[in-house]
Amino acid sequence: MEKFITDFFNEINNHLKLVSAFEIAKALKIIEAMYERDGRIYIIGNGGSLSIARHMVGDLNKTVFTHRLVGIKRFQAIALPTTDSELTAWANDVGYDMVFAGPLQNYIQDADVLVAISSSGNSPNIIKAVEVAKKFGIPVIALTGFDGGKLLPLADAKILVPTEKGKYDIVESIHEAIVHLITRYFQVFINNHLNKK
Amino acid sequence: MIITRAPLRISFVGGGTDLPDFYRQYPGRTISVTIDKFTYVIINHIPHTKKVIVKYRDTELVDHPSQLKHNRVKHSLLDLGINRDIEIGSFADISSSAGLGSSSAFSTALLKGLYAFKGRNLNREETAKEACRLEIELLKEPIGKQDQYAASFGGFNIFQFNSDESVDVNPVYISHNDKIKWQNHLLLFFTGITRPAATIFAEQRSNIANNIAVLKEMSDSVFEFEKKLMARDYQGLGIMLNEAWQKKKKLASNISGDLLDQLYDTGIKAGAWGGKILGAGGGGCILFVAPPEMHDSVQKSIREFAVKNNMIGFEEIPVKFTECGTDIVYRANRY
Repeated sequence: MEKFITDFFNEINNHLKLVSAFEIAKALKIIEAMYERDGRIYIIGNGGSLSIARHMVGDLNKTVFTHRLVGIKRFQAIALPTTDSELTAWANDVGYDMVFAGPLQNYIQDADVLVAISSSGNSPNIIKAVEVAKKFGIPVIALTGFDGGKLLPLADAKILVPTEKGKYDIVESIHEAIVHLITRYFQVFINNHLNKK
Repeated sequence: MIITRAPLRISFVGGGTDLPDFYRQYPGRTISVTIDKFTYVIINHIPHTKKVIVKYRDTELVDHPSQLKHNRVKHSLLDLGINRDIEIGSFADISSSAGLGSSSAFSTALLKGLYAFKGRNLNREETAKEACRLEIELLKEPIGKQDQYAASFGGFNIFQFNSDESVDVNPVYISHNDKIKWQNHLLLFFTGITRPAATIFAEQRSNIANNIAVLKEMSDSVFEFEKKLMARDYQGLGIMLNEAWQKKKKLASNISGDLLDQLYDTGIKAGAWGGKILGAGGGGCILFVAPPEMHDSVQKSIREFAVKNNMIGFEEIPVKFTECGTDIVYRANRY
């Protein structure tokens, strides 16, 4: 049992070392610029990645500002689609590949950012949404795994957890850690903003 | 209606190495950061008027862009084939010729907006390239490329200008805390003295052959600057700027007048570690690197000097960095 546990931890550790700090830094700069120009951040994913996406929305909108909930401009992180009705309407009426790209077009503006979370990097509905973002010229942050798939070359910040195909557990665990890293960075960022005032 | 904006920038070292006569022989490099002072361009579709209206210091109303006096707008419109039914206005947080790259910032904001007006969204690289093409190829201005890239990309960057005309954009990955620390060591003053960069560059350009060794050192010093910045060696950075300024002064006779030399010395005497005149020199802004506890002393001495020498238009500009580049901040029709 102990070996089973340490093997898993070791596997996480070994893959964590392969993630590019440079690309995470790029993502932080993109979000910082978006905050300054009062843009919105859309976060999308399927299955486990959807859970991470929803978690990130919560952390950006609330956790980052927990120490100061009044008197400061907050993030506008948006989960897409915003209702189950839209999800099923797009899936049922148009096609499952439009469940993110469709609702994204209701909101998208030039100041915004899209975060696409996909371990394989090949989910058709994720790629469709990224194509919408590219058409509008807004920055795309990719959180991906395996070989990055089709998503990686399309992204402006390419956060890749390189693994063999199918290692969803490793990729998703590390994606969660990166979401917390981003959350902590902006907690410091917001504290600096407050101290300057 | 479309509204775009582009940030102004503070260039630390390497200015002048972005001129083709140099970078065709040796890679040119600059390190700069954008600040939260912007140039805004507003583009309005005015159908059926058959007119072109341009609003800046003057207002022009013409039948065809070829009749415009505003050179940048004129050549952009002609190049893009926009001949009528358009109104263009500009606003700026800071007057032009301040040495903060405002004219190239204007070009990036203008082109980003005009392309969007035509239904195409330029990315950061395309925006910078188009602004370079407008200013250097179409308008034949003897200027470099750093300002177009600084404005378009935004943030803290090292740009490398290669002999094949490509430009590498390398963001400086300084943490937010350290960025604030560095920001809090800087003091920026607009001298009120203005002089278009083009006239100085013309001379600087003709001197490049004689100054190649100095320019090579300036290009390489960008890495030293980055290293010191990451090590939080702010005093070292001040001293470096001082040395770079002394070197740059040798490149063209007009880069610094007596008054600016005295102003610079006043800042140093009052406690600054170093500084520089921003832009191509000859006027514009003066930047000092000083320990935060000496800021009051430097501000006081510089202000007194400006009053004594009757420097009209003199003012302090609070330094606040921005990560924003050239952006569309509003468009009425998203589709």
